[in-house]
Amino acid sequence: MAEINTGDTAWILMSAALVMLMTPGLALFYGGLVRRKNVLSTIMHSFFILGLVSVTWVLWGYTLAFGPDTGLGIIGGLDWLALEGVTGEPSDVYATTIPHLAFMAFQMMFAIITPALITGAFAERKRFKAFVLFAVAWSTLVYAPIAHWVWSPDGWLFSLGVLDFAGGTVVHLSSGIAALVAALFIGRRTGLIQPATEPHDVPMTVLGAGLLWFGWFGFNAGSALGANGLAATAFVTTNTAAAMAAITWVTISWLHKGTPSVLGAAIGAVAGLVAITPAAGFVTPAASVLIGLGVGVVCYGAAQLRLRARIDDALDVFAVHGVGGAFGALATGVFATTAVNAAAFDGLLAGNAGQLLTQVIGVVAVGAYSAVATASILFVVNLVVPIRVPGPEEETGLDLAQHGEVAYQV
Amino acid sequence: MVIAALVSFAILLVAWIIAPDRPRSAAAVVETSMPEAQPAAA
Repeated sequence: MAEINTGDTAWILMSAALVMLMTPGLALFYGGLVRRKNVLSTIMHSFFILGLVSVTWVLWGYTLAFGPDTGLGIIGGLDWLALEGVTGEPSDVYATTIPHLAFMAFQMMFAIITPALITGAFAERKRFKAFVLFAVAWSTLVYAPIAHWVWSPDGWLFSLGVLDFAGGTVVHLSSGIAALVAALFIGRRTGLIQPATEPHDVPMTVLGAGLLWFGWFGFNAGSALGANGLAATAFVTTNTAAAMAAITWVTISWLHKGTPSVLGAAIGAVAGLVAITPAAGFVTPAASVLIGLGVGVVCYGAAQLRLRARIDDALDVFAVHGVGGAFGALATGVFATTAVNAAAFDGLLAGNAGQLLTQVIGVVAVGAYSAVATASILFVVNLVVPIRVPGPEEETGLDLAQHGEVAYQV
Repeated sequence: MVIAALVSFAILLVAWIIAPDRPRSAAAVVETSMPEAQPAAA
């Protein structure tokens, strides 16, 4: 059995804590974007998932995602149910220089934030109990299998050679596609001329984006699974892409609408963070500049198209996470180089065009499965508990109607 | 790659110089008025 490296262990535990902070950060990011009568319900979606998935991950999520394969590369077995056999000793398979429990905890934070991302699509109109059922089902039936496909050494997409350093497909593409399906399923909010509202608190959203950016260093640099040069590379590419996407989004919206938008800076930064996620440990800092530029343009365009299509994905989860995640996964197939990570593969620009095709297969497989599975889950949950709140409750606001509380007394 | 990265930043620099100084149009109203929730009586 490998020996525990204290530096690696400290970094991964710290990274897990950084990624944990992203979910409350997401709560603030989304909370500022909705109307004041729905801010608590929006925050509650993320915060409740922090509790909910922490428990389901320990009980069955981790073993389904990372447990020994059941034979087809699709799902893990029940060997590690309730973390039986997952101890303070290193795993034989994953991150062999740190305690297995540290790796499990790090992965748990990814499992938590992924369904929380989806909540932005059905903000301001979803019944809380339906949301709880959906979150448990989605985390189990969508997130866990996809994580197994891509990150388990026996997963079928891993075996195919799909590169996803920290979750561009597993986290962002899967949740972004699910968000689009959820928005279409639940329908537009009532009383809106356009499928959009003015944010009630832009500083709250910017604070949330700042916390997301901060936590993303754990998300991406932590995915090196060691305190080493690869972690430093991922740290730098992550910051660079976020920065480039933020200033690109601001520039495009400035040229388009006439003012440099503060909100645009926050959303652009998140788009950059999404796009660099699958690529962070495979590309150079110069490539991360181009990835940030590209995703700023593409995601801004996707958000405008979403408005024109009159799809009420309330907080643009699909445009930022779905499109940004797919863009990042494909960009990985273009810019990846073994000069950065000898354990990976070269991409298109390093002479390996096949890697781009492999990435396309990964994007299509994850996107298609997430779409079909999410629609099925929504259909079944809606049979048990109506997903949408009644019209009068939507008009009153979910804070009071669903939670019996209001955010502001003035 | 390095040159492409430098050029992309230069493009943004030029865009900031030519960007407008004021909104192109008044902000659109995107929601109808709705009654806001009131705090419960103490």
